[in-house]
Amino acid sequence: MKIIKLAWSYLRIGIANELQYRVNFFIQLLQSFIALGTGLIGLWLVFTQTTQLGGWSQPELLAVMGIYMVMGGVIQSAIQPNMQRLMDEIQDGSLDFALTKPVDGQILVSIREFRFWQLTDVVVGLVVLVIAVVQLQEKIGVWQALAFMVALLLGGIMIYSFWLMLTTTAFWLIRIWELVNLFQGLYAAGRWPVTIYPQWLRLGLTFIVPVAFAVTVPAEALTNRLTPLTLLGAFGLAILLMLLARFVWRLGVRSYSGASA
Amino acid sequence: MPNPAITVNLLSKHYKVPVREAGLKAATKSLFRRKYNSVKAVDNISFTIQPGEVVGFLGPNGAGKTTTLKMLSGLLFPTSGIPDVLGFQPSRRQADFLRQITLVMGNRSQMSWDLPALDSFELQRAIYGVPSPDFLRTRDEFIELLDVKELVKKPVRNLSLGERMKMEIIVALLHRPKVLFLDEPTIGLDVTMQRRIRQFVEEYNRRYGATVLLTSHYMADVEALCKRVIVIHNGKLLFDGDLSTLVDRFSAFKTIGVTLANGFGSFSQYGEVLNQEAGHVTLRIPREKTPEVTARILAEQQVDDLTVEDPPIEDVIEKVFAQKSAEV
Amino acid sequence: MKRYIDFYLTSMKIAILEQIQYRAQNYFYLVGVVVEPTIYLVVWSTIANQQGGSVGGYTAGGLAAYYIVWTLVRQMNVVFTPYGWENRIQHGRLSMELMRPMHPIHTDVSYFAGWKMVMIVFWFPLAAILTLIFKPTLNPTWLQIIVFFIAIWGAYLVRTMIFAVLGLITLWTTRVSAIFELSFALEMVLSGRFVPMTLMPAWVQHIAYYLPFQWTFYFPINALVGQPTPNQLFTGLGMQLFWILIGLGLVNLIWHFGIRRFSSVGN
Repeated sequence: MKIIKLAWSYLRIGIANELQYRVNFFIQLLQSFIALGTGLIGLWLVFTQTTQLGGWSQPELLAVMGIYMVMGGVIQSAIQPNMQRLMDEIQDGSLDFALTKPVDGQILVSIREFRFWQLTDVVVGLVVLVIAVVQLQEKIGVWQALAFMVALLLGGIMIYSFWLMLTTTAFWLIRIWELVNLFQGLYAAGRWPVTIYPQWLRLGLTFIVPVAFAVTVPAEALTNRLTPLTLLGAFGLAILLMLLARFVWRLGVRSYSGASA
Repeated sequence: MPNPAITVNLLSKHYKVPVREAGLKAATKSLFRRKYNSVKAVDNISFTIQPGEVVGFLGPNGAGKTTTLKMLSGLLFPTSGIPDVLGFQPSRRQADFLRQITLVMGNRSQMSWDLPALDSFELQRAIYGVPSPDFLRTRDEFIELLDVKELVKKPVRNLSLGERMKMEIIVALLHRPKVLFLDEPTIGLDVTMQRRIRQFVEEYNRRYGATVLLTSHYMADVEALCKRVIVIHNGKLLFDGDLSTLVDRFSAFKTIGVTLANGFGSFSQYGEVLNQEAGHVTLRIPREKTPEVTARILAEQQVDDLTVEDPPIEDVIEKVFAQKSAEV
Repeated sequence: MKRYIDFYLTSMKIAILEQIQYRAQNYFYLVGVVVEPTIYLVVWSTIANQQGGSVGGYTAGGLAAYYIVWTLVRQMNVVFTPYGWENRIQHGRLSMELMRPMHPIHTDVSYFAGWKMVMIVFWFPLAAILTLIFKPTLNPTWLQIIVFFIAIWGAYLVRTMIFAVLGLITLWTTRVSAIFELSFALEMVLSGRFVPMTLMPAWVQHIAYYLPFQWTFYFPINALVGQPTPNQLFTGLGMQLFWILIGLGLVNLIWHFGIRRFSSVGN
């Protein structure tokens, strides 16, 4: 309860901060449209040559792109900024402030930043998604919709856990922008259903970087491809990654305190 | 008499600062037509500096010191009054001019952090096109003077702030400039490190007869290096002359320190007691009363030791600015 | 001239020394770089296979060659970004660089040239792995190989100029990211970074021909993996030279006015 209140106040501060810079909204909106534009051009190029890609039709791929943008917007507004701040603080030693607060450290470092204007990606993505669903001309049942939401949520949790682990382990090795760059490069693979990739890459995008679960699985839920087994698997993997992230975080904090003492 | 190294005649720099009004309507309007206020960062100052002089450039934050240094080094174009540095017009930034000057800013770095300073020295040589034998001689001389033989082999990021500043100074002087603009070169450094940097600048000035214009928050720097100071405030020149004259003119008080033989006594009748503890008293006395009060103390108290000092230069400077602000 | 050669060699040496310290970083970075073309490659070879073996004149093997060479050209194309310019201008580093008796663009060109030397070494094993996985077909002539090696440096200079021009806009306004992003998107589509230009509709190819972007990606890659005529090869090099000269002119012009402004408002 306390946590939710805290998260809410950080959210409010984040929003209030960004509302001051209205120009950023237009810039961000423009950037969302640019991203949309390049995405659409990609789709269009594919469909000037063919009518389906690896068994996915044009509206289905459009749905994938919509989900990709929605999830990307969530990552950019809520997950990545927190992780970047965490890396900054680990580097200059100011993480102490967060760790000495009477709140669970992991939760605190995960809710402090919020980029409100990045949500334009989410909005644009949702619009694309709705258009895609209309084009699909299929009724979306209640269970399907529910499965889609659950799959999306699980995907978000997995991406968060993955980012947290990446942040707490890899920052010893490499510089921040390279990490961000690497993640964005890998995430871009989610633009297309992972089923079209060769096996080794698909496995990597499923279990190492959970892009498959973040984008493809929700899309499968929408397009009647999702088996209960996959959803169950997503559920299991989400819990596993959360626990693993928790464990890695603990280890990280211990070595951080050890190093700065 | 040789030509002055730096001639500044009625130099001014005015900035246009956009006036921002609150509200979306005003913000939209300002997209098309902005209102500006003019701020006089530097306002008709004049001075000349002879080759080889070391001059302290004093003033509170925002007085216009950095703006002036930037105009003299060619980074800023003056609003009026073209300065002359070594016969060049700085803002044209000719290569021949740039090769003869240097600008050190205490908070800006020119080094590659991941590499030993030696590599950055090498790059600096290539940038300035210094012939290799000259470069090696200068480099080794500086390394010896600053006693950094081992440090130059370590990656810069592993150095302390003070050690890094030594490297910055070496980099900035490797091309043996004739004019040095030093903007807060010792900022954030501990006392020992400040002294090392200071001694180095002094030595460089002595060996190569370079002209130095220095700003610093640390009066110790100014006292040690500069016979002459130029004081500016709100963009206007307040004082140009010897440091000792500045003290005489602006400090109305002296500080008397008394060590007591019996460790006790009452002193408030002589003047303002700044401090009294364990048999030692510090008093503040109006300048003109100093001889009289000193005599009285010596006559009336059991004194072990007595000193008369000018107040710390910081206090004097503070007083100058306080007076000036009251006038403005 | 001798001074500039000396400077370039020294600066490249420094960049190399700096970069070889970061083995882990460089590999992480390169993995990120390789992912992008791998995605394109998979998508387009899937289509090629669906279409009975080829798309836009490229077989799966040809596409593999295109995108593997892409990864090298991408390294060659890394330049000081407009965001780098923005950063250097807004944080006052430009002031320090203006104090040097040398144009800052030399610092950038030489530094990234050195950086590439390291990256190419790191790139080889990755290219080998990609070759094993995707089995490219590549049989260039000697002329193609020679032109390719010239063209990747030409591409580097063209791209340096494009982004220096963009970056210098920061001398006037601080809200530049939208302009940058727009030009990145344009480049993405019109350079051949996305897909070989021959997969584009004819009118897009036509527009792209008269813009600088395709001479930084598609031309060098195609010079090696396609079947260009000698005439096309030399025209391409000529176009690169043309854009380098245009870029130089623009950079100088913008620099002239930009620095005048920079030194009147201060920073």
